[in-house]
Amino acid sequence: MSGGPLIVQSDKTLLLEIDHPDAQACRMAIAPFAELERSPEHVHTYRLTPLGLWNARAAGHDAEGVVDALITYSRYPVPHALLVDVAETMDRYGRLQVANDPVHGLVLRGLDRLVLIEVAKSKKLAGMLGAKIDDDTIAVHPSERGRLKQALLKLGWPAEDLAGYVDGEAHPIELAEAGKNGGKPWTLRSYQREAVEAFWAGGSGVVVLPCGAGKTLVGAAAMAEAKATTLILVTNTVAGRQWKRELIARTSLTEDEIGEYSGERKEIRPVTIATYQVLTSRRKGAFTHLDLFGARDWGLVVYDEVHLLPAPIFRFTADLQARRRLGLTATLVREDGREGDVFSLIGPKRYDAPWKDIEAQGWIAPAECTEVRVTLTDAERLAYATAEAEERYRMAATARTKLPVVRALVRRHADDQVLVIGGYIDQLHQLGEYLDAPIVQGSTTNKERERLFDAFRAGEIRTLVISKVGNFSIDLPEAAVAIQVSGTFGSRQEEAQRLGRVLRPKADRRQAHFYTVVSRDTIDTEYAAHRQRFLAEQGYAYTIVDADDVLGPSLPTVD
Amino acid sequence: MTTSLADHLRSLPDDSLAALLQQRPDLVVPVPADLGALATRARSRVSVARALDGLDQFTLQILDAARLTRHPDEGTTTVEAVLATATAGPNPPAPDTVRAALRRLRDLFLLYGPEGGLRVVESVDEVSPYPAGLGRPASELDPATAALCADPAKLRRTVLAAPASARAILDRLAAGPPVGSVPPGALQAPATGAEGSVPPDPTNGGAPTGSPVRWLIDNRLLVLVSGGRAGATGTVELPREVGLLLRRDTGPLGPLRTAPPPVAAAPREPKAVDSAGAGQAMEVVRHTEALLEQLSVEPVPLLRSGGLGVRELRRLARAVGLDEPTTALLLEVAYAAALLGALDLPGATTGRYGADQQVLPTAGYEVWRTGSLAQRWEQLARGWLAMSRQAGLVGQRDDRDRPITVLSPEAERAGAPAARRAVLGVLADLAPATAPTVDEVLALLEWRSPRRSRGRETAHRQVLTEAATLGVTGLGALTSYGRLLLAEVTATDERGQEDPLGLLAEGAGGEPSTAVRALDALLPAPVDHFLVQADLTVVVPGPPEPALAGELEAVAEPESAGGASVHRLTTASIRRALDAGYSGDDLHALFARRSRTPVPQGLTYLIDDVARRHGGLRAGSAGGYLRSDDEALLAEVLADRRLESLALRRLAPTVLVTPYQSKLLLTTLRDAGYAPVPEDASGAAVLARPKTRRAPTRVPASRAVDPLATPRLAMPRLLGVVEQIRRGEAAARAARRAPASVRTAAGARTGPVPVHSHADAIAVLQQAVRDKALVWVGYVDAHGATASRLVRPVSIGAGYLRAEDERTEMLHTFALHRITAAVREK
Repeated sequence: MSGGPLIVQSDKTLLLEIDHPDAQACRMAIAPFAELERSPEHVHTYRLTPLGLWNARAAGHDAEGVVDALITYSRYPVPHALLVDVAETMDRYGRLQVANDPVHGLVLRGLDRLVLIEVAKSKKLAGMLGAKIDDDTIAVHPSERGRLKQALLKLGWPAEDLAGYVDGEAHPIELAEAGKNGGKPWTLRSYQREAVEAFWAGGSGVVVLPCGAGKTLVGAAAMAEAKATTLILVTNTVAGRQWKRELIARTSLTEDEIGEYSGERKEIRPVTIATYQVLTSRRKGAFTHLDLFGARDWGLVVYDEVHLLPAPIFRFTADLQARRRLGLTATLVREDGREGDVFSLIGPKRYDAPWKDIEAQGWIAPAECTEVRVTLTDAERLAYATAEAEERYRMAATARTKLPVVRALVRRHADDQVLVIGGYIDQLHQLGEYLDAPIVQGSTTNKERERLFDAFRAGEIRTLVISKVGNFSIDLPEAAVAIQVSGTFGSRQEEAQRLGRVLRPKADRRQAHFYTVVSRDTIDTEYAAHRQRFLAEQGYAYTIVDADDVLGPSLPTVD
Repeated sequence: MTTSLADHLRSLPDDSLAALLQQRPDLVVPVPADLGALATRARSRVSVARALDGLDQFTLQILDAARLTRHPDEGTTTVEAVLATATAGPNPPAPDTVRAALRRLRDLFLLYGPEGGLRVVESVDEVSPYPAGLGRPASELDPATAALCADPAKLRRTVLAAPASARAILDRLAAGPPVGSVPPGALQAPATGAEGSVPPDPTNGGAPTGSPVRWLIDNRLLVLVSGGRAGATGTVELPREVGLLLRRDTGPLGPLRTAPPPVAAAPREPKAVDSAGAGQAMEVVRHTEALLEQLSVEPVPLLRSGGLGVRELRRLARAVGLDEPTTALLLEVAYAAALLGALDLPGATTGRYGADQQVLPTAGYEVWRTGSLAQRWEQLARGWLAMSRQAGLVGQRDDRDRPITVLSPEAERAGAPAARRAVLGVLADLAPATAPTVDEVLALLEWRSPRRSRGRETAHRQVLTEAATLGVTGLGALTSYGRLLLAEVTATDERGQEDPLGLLAEGAGGEPSTAVRALDALLPAPVDHFLVQADLTVVVPGPPEPALAGELEAVAEPESAGGASVHRLTTASIRRALDAGYSGDDLHALFARRSRTPVPQGLTYLIDDVARRHGGLRAGSAGGYLRSDDEALLAEVLADRRLESLALRRLAPTVLVTPYQSKLLLTTLRDAGYAPVPEDASGAAVLARPKTRRAPTRVPASRAVDPLATPRLAMPRLLGVVEQIRRGEAAARAARRAPASVRTAAGARTGPVPVHSHADAIAVLQQAVRDKALVWVGYVDAHGATASRLVRPVSIGAGYLRAEDERTEMLHTFALHRITAAVREK
């Protein structure tokens, strides 16, 4: 027994005790091959997956090293069977190679002839492989590179991709760390630098960083590394404009070099920012804007909020395997369970940092999460009890009893910028009237949205009521309090994204507050528990209070 | 010779005899009557085979040398001759090792006699017919071949002249064994090089291929021993002289291996080996417990043929999360360790005893569960070492192509424990933490006891896999505690002879064995605390103490297990704990006491919230209830001492319940002077009049009848009766007096009715119609029976007579052709 910080479980989870003196070293040792699954306050959970082990293998780690790391840091004896399994899994990687042959173009090469024969017979690969060149080599249609790799991964024989990436059309991009147009000098934060390096070393992949941790800058730094034309895919127009503003401020790019490809404008420039929506819009059943992918010889494709990547884009991403791809997200939790597709098509997770670590470094604001439980009135309870099953969540989430509680919370933070976030338009209108605050919703025009957001940033508006449109990619640095009144059922990533709205570090290092108002003893409570799971696993401990404590005269002091 | 072995034995001192018996214990079962009998037994085939089984490859080769150097007539050899043969080849072994081997053979009395006149026990030749893989001398096989062999130069020339394909066959046979089978028809083909002797066959593809075997036989290098004629499979043998000639380079005995083959693998870190093994040991114990728990929740039926069904095994494996071979192994081991047993279920499908059985944990399982990890592992490992079952066979098919199932008799292999000892013995003899490859282990086994290992390679491979699964080995090497356990088990076995009751066995006095202590030191110590986190997970950083495990089982759902365990607290799990008797405060205290980290506020709130709602709805059962809107009345009933027997309980101000049936409730209340009204399930009052019991309705007896009273009859009735009697009398008389002519005519069944009488009868009838007179008519009815009747004819026509019977007052119709006679009534 070495008394190490790590406990290896037979179901291939690794428990890392954070308070152990060797915890940091252990984390560095296991991070390349184990995936961080949960990071609550005391014990972080990592998981050994075939994908993670293969990625480690691709990055140059061998099975000996993995086994050694496990044994070195493990507190208890590691089961023999698990070690054997790790070695066997890693051994499967690289038996097949996707390579460029000078004569035959893209080929699948087998270092183990039996494996090549086995996969060539598989029905899942039908149509992807071309003629057999010799016993160890089979031609591959260049357009099937992504799908082939995906299918091989599913067969359990991941191919090593030696075909490399195209450089794309060169375009000079530099980070303007010295400050631009009289701006203050700045530097890339350490974790941003590490993320870019990890991405560049791997070629393609996903970088997971908390909301407000500066993912845009990771994208900008990756562009500066690529120095090539770049296609950036974002969720909506407002987010696209934010990207544009940020890129102009932080890089050598000028306004003329950045194009916007959205419902309103169709510009194709060396750096083009397009929305998912316009790419997936169809006319007569055909995707009319997908030519954008071929419009230029892009050297880098950046996917913002990759957890929202729509299914059609998946399909076209499979064709872009020769280009470098960078996925950015805060919460790689897809409620549709397609995380695996993201990994295989965009690339593996290249960088991941626990939220609390970045908070400890001061790059995101410390946040206090509070669940306020509201007791419904008897009339509301009766209505709820007799409601249809599909109506129940709406009834519980939009209970009028929540309004005074929200007002009390807003008053408590009278000096702060407050966002009230909800999922039901009727409820938002009620809130807007009740709080006398403007509303941003789906039907609000882009112009009006920009105006309201600018006013909010400037502090002219203290309270803003926003609908689901505010879930993503709106940058409101001074928002310090978010009050959530209703949401999309039990969506974990929505909760995390909403918390992210208040995580930008504040000028005076103030604490951020996140309230979620929930109706007691209803399905609302259950959904809330599910929604909080991701954040709880990131170490955000929710405090649960009763609405009476909020409404009551003796308010607990909050600093 | 017989006498000489017996004589030799007679000449031995006691301790030498004892040494022989110790080495070959099978000789004294049963104890032989005298030394002659002992000698006979020592020469018996079975006993010699046993003695040979235990010998290593080198000793066997030296025995072969002794056999080869026997004088053809006297049957004796000398130590010198053996030494000369053994050291004839390249890399000769040291003479001392040869002498040591000879000594061992003489100790076993496979060789006996003085150094200058060693004899080989002759049944050795029966047990292994070809010494050193060489055939019989040519003189015993075939005179022509013997002639060839007698001329060494010619023999050498012939061998050198052999075509390449024939030479390959020679080399193969020279390496031993020296016999080979010849495919049918091979000898019909022309010899290699003599294809031209047969005309080409254009239909079957040109010139025939030559047969190298035919060439060898033709040239007397091989001798056909049996068969080979006309399409039968034949057997050929390589004469000893040819074999020796071909072994010029390796020596007459073939390559000699004085020492076991070396192990190339570098020794591993002993700590790493022990650690991997201990990890595996922990896993095995945990998985076995999970498996047994699953079986205790859902016992599995035994098949009639014995064993668990294939599907049941698959289901169990899935439930526990193991693969099927491992599950099969663990089931077998648990059965061998007496943790599993079969329970009879008489009458499940038939009434026959023992027909339906279920497999479920035994009472011993409860004891096992309370032991420490290491003790539990030891029990499993000992069970595995001793079990005469080969779990690796499960899933394969038997001779009749039926799948072999877990716990079935087909997986029984008496040699399994010995195979395990042999394999582990090989590992134990290597330096600690040496991890040989599987092939190296097999090669070592092959050297140690070639006769025993041959054909058991699969079983040996399975032993290695099982040892790794059970954590007896780690990273391919025997673990330190595995080595200790093996030594203990071997020591116990040896002592078993002197100590059949196991009184001296280590650990019998409750003291843990050295293996357990060694393993204990490697395994994590049980912990009595956990860490609670904000995401409502509970992490136990090590194996939990039994008390802690029990508490966690009550309050949390297990999520991940292994060295540590992770549990999740949910609303449902907290509620379950409350159901199990914990109060909210108990739970708070539990977490405060056990948690090393501050209890998160969310958990405190969760417990309070669930405890607040727990018990909000109450369910129970009652036999009857009493309700009233008059609360005072109910209070009075509740307070009434006479109703104490009803055990009434107040549920609400307006409802009382009793465990007794409502009928008793009603009567007791009524007896006490209350006026309850029963109601039915829908709450409506049930109005019941008292109901009396009645037998089924009967018809009353209408008049009293005096059996002695004389009935009084009215005169008209009496007259009627008299008339009736008389008519009957008349009829009877008439019947009696039917005229003889009618009777005989009617009775004449043989032959047709005489024509004259038929015509007479018609005439009589016609007259009677006219006279309206009575006539006796004889006739044959539809069934062929004859009858006669007194009638008054009415008419005759269309072949029928219609007549009136006065007695019955009926009109009869007679077919005329059936009438046999007719006579006027006088």
